[in-house]
Amino acid sequence: MPARPYRCVYWSRQRIDGTPEQVATEIESILTAARRNNAQLGITGALAVGRGIFAQLLEGPRQAVETAFENIQRDERHGDVQVLAFGPAEQRAFPGWPMAYVEPSQIGSQPAASTSTAAVGSTHLEARRLLDIIDSLAVEPQPRRD
Amino acid sequence: MGSVHSIKLAGKPSVQSRERTPLRQVSSKLAAGLALSAFATFDSALAMVAPDGRILMTNPAFDQLFGDISAEDLPTQLQIESWQQAESAERIVPFPNGRSFKIKIMALPEGYFVCAGDITDQLAQAARDARLVRTDRLTELGNQRLLRERLQDLLESSPAVRNDCALLTVDLDRFKAVNDALGRNIGDALLCLVSKRIRSAVSGVDVVTRLYGDQFGIIQIGRPQPEAATILAKRLGDLLSRPYMLEGQLIDVTARVGIAPLAQAATDVDQVMKNADLALNRARQDQSKDYCVFESGMDETVKARRALETDLRRALALREFSLVYQPQFDLLTRRVTGFEALLRWNSPTRGMVSPLDFIPLAEETGIINPIGEWVLRTACRDAANWPADITVAVNISAVQFAHRTLATTVLSALSDIDLDPRRLELEITESVMLDARGTALGVLQRLRSTGVRVSLDDFGTGYSSLGYLRSFPFDKIKIDQSFVRGTLEDPGNRAIVRAIASLGQNLGMATVAEGVETAEHMERVAADGCTHVQGYLISRPIPPEQVAGFLAGNGAQKAACRDDPFLVA
Ligand SMILES: Cc1cc2nc3c(=O)[nH]c(=O)nc-3n(C[C@H](O)[C@H](O)[C@H](O)COP(=O)(O)O)c2cc1C
Repeated sequence: MPARPYRCVYWSRQRIDGTPEQVATEIESILTAARRNNAQLGITGALAVGRGIFAQLLEGPRQAVETAFENIQRDERHGDVQVLAFGPAEQRAFPGWPMAYVEPSQIGSQPAASTSTAAVGSTHLEARRLLDIIDSLAVEPQPRRD
Repeated sequence: MGSVHSIKLAGKPSVQSRERTPLRQVSSKLAAGLALSAFATFDSALAMVAPDGRILMTNPAFDQLFGDISAEDLPTQLQIESWQQAESAERIVPFPNGRSFKIKIMALPEGYFVCAGDITDQLAQAARDARLVRTDRLTELGNQRLLRERLQDLLESSPAVRNDCALLTVDLDRFKAVNDALGRNIGDALLCLVSKRIRSAVSGVDVVTRLYGDQFGIIQIGRPQPEAATILAKRLGDLLSRPYMLEGQLIDVTARVGIAPLAQAATDVDQVMKNADLALNRARQDQSKDYCVFESGMDETVKARRALETDLRRALALREFSLVYQPQFDLLTRRVTGFEALLRWNSPTRGMVSPLDFIPLAEETGIINPIGEWVLRTACRDAANWPADITVAVNISAVQFAHRTLATTVLSALSDIDLDPRRLELEITESVMLDARGTALGVLQRLRSTGVRVSLDDFGTGYSSLGYLRSFPFDKIKIDQSFVRGTLEDPGNRAIVRAIASLGQNLGMATVAEGVETAEHMERVAADGCTHVQGYLISRPIPPEQVAGFLAGNGAQKAACRDDPFLVA
């Protein structure tokens, strides 16, 4: 067993323009790319989407998490990235999920028309936490950009 | 130079041959044989070409170089036709097979003598070297040299091309702090990530370079300006200011961008780079935006500021500053209880300069420290001549609190002049309390423990956090004049004045209404619960020599004094 996995949790604001269908397509393409790339990097995690907010958990070898995070930073489809946690974790929260999609059904806005098989239920503890992040953020005003 | 004739006779040897070896004594047959074998064994590729371009004779080296090209194609590829006029010439000719040849050609009485060499590798090496000296080793972006050369080229190109170009300079706030705190390796790695983010935001034709340290230069090419550069600057400001993760560290820096469109009158590289720097500086000063486009006025503004700074530095030594005093009036006792010291600068060249025009610059440049000390000492000295129950208030800027010696300066001024600390009142603004490390708070506490009073100035204009009122036991709250003057028109203002007054009452702090100009103002703020007033109604600021007279007369009566164009309080 290698060193303890690193975990990074952040949220960001969605910056995808277009109809709900176009947004859903973009999210689908993010998930496809994520699953393809993450599997190679040895990264697992979950992405929750709702109310114009992304909340993501990435975990894996530290360097791999850093590489993936840097790659995601350059994506124009979101902004105002706020890292909530970054550090070693006891174990993976989403072992076997290159990028789980957390169903936003519980948080009002409709899910991306996702036929994705890799959606986890909101009973999963960390998935629930991602949803909570979205929940609590959605009622806050837009953050200032510093 | 050997004549064509001698070459024809003897091949290689030329000028010196006449002096050294009497070649003419050799039979022409022998000479021809010698020339031929020299031609054959020479290790450069040689050929004889007929006037019509046909290749007559080649040596083995030549065959080795061009053997796989057919005899019909070769003259075309050598481009012999195109330089038939020349007596002799040397050219680099690229071949369709991708290789490059250096070809020398010399006209003979009939036809040409051709000497060729494959310089493909040499050229490639030279290109590599050229690239290397224009590359930043750390980030593998271009370097300053590349940027300057490309700028030079673009400045010399047609207006259509040039007008569609802009130079952007980018730097990172807090980079030095990251470097100091996390070490050079992480600093370097951060610069590499920044480079990659920049690359991901620009188009392929743009030139991306690192100039030095954390400063980057980008030439944007072929886009309408300044719109395109503005869009790119916003994108960079966003992208580069997003968090970085490196070696287990989460790093936040802020990027700022200066833009200099090449279309501007600027004619040389230095000017363009300077313009971008001026814009970058402006972007650094203006906290609300992370980029700025150069405007021709900026240079003037900077020059004007520099001139003001020079004058400001001299003003202290030349005794161009003076203090005037504005009375503070106690509404309950109907007496003047103290004066606020206000700084005046009478410059021989500029005339009266408004504090609004020079204090910000003095703060930025740190000149405020010696000026502030002068104000403090002068005010204490003046106050020492006043009746013992009259206080003097001195404004202290947040910048002065950053100076470690402030407490010592205040205490030594008091003891040198032998003024009761309770007669000195320091007026500070909320910005002083914003200092995160709490050094200001410590200084204030130390001073207050000696008896010095502290009042909170301009209350209501800044953050006006009630937290500040709790974090320090101020003696006075000064309500900004905008609320006092506005009381007549706006019921909201009046509510604010009332709220602050009652807050002061509950916290045991006096409340001073500033900017009281009419009897009506005074009546209202009194009714609203303020304890003191200050403003034209009581008196304009008066010079120190009039203070005694003012106090001797009726305190509430307006003092006759010279016109003061800069009423601050
Ligand atoms: C909110 C969000 C989360 C993303 N998560 C991942 C991820 O976990 N892994 C990944 O490779 N790409 C992720 N991406 C997409 C990347 O930004 C990028 O588009 C993608 O990696 C490009 O992959 P490709 O070069 O293989 O097409 C995410 C994008 C967004 C906006």
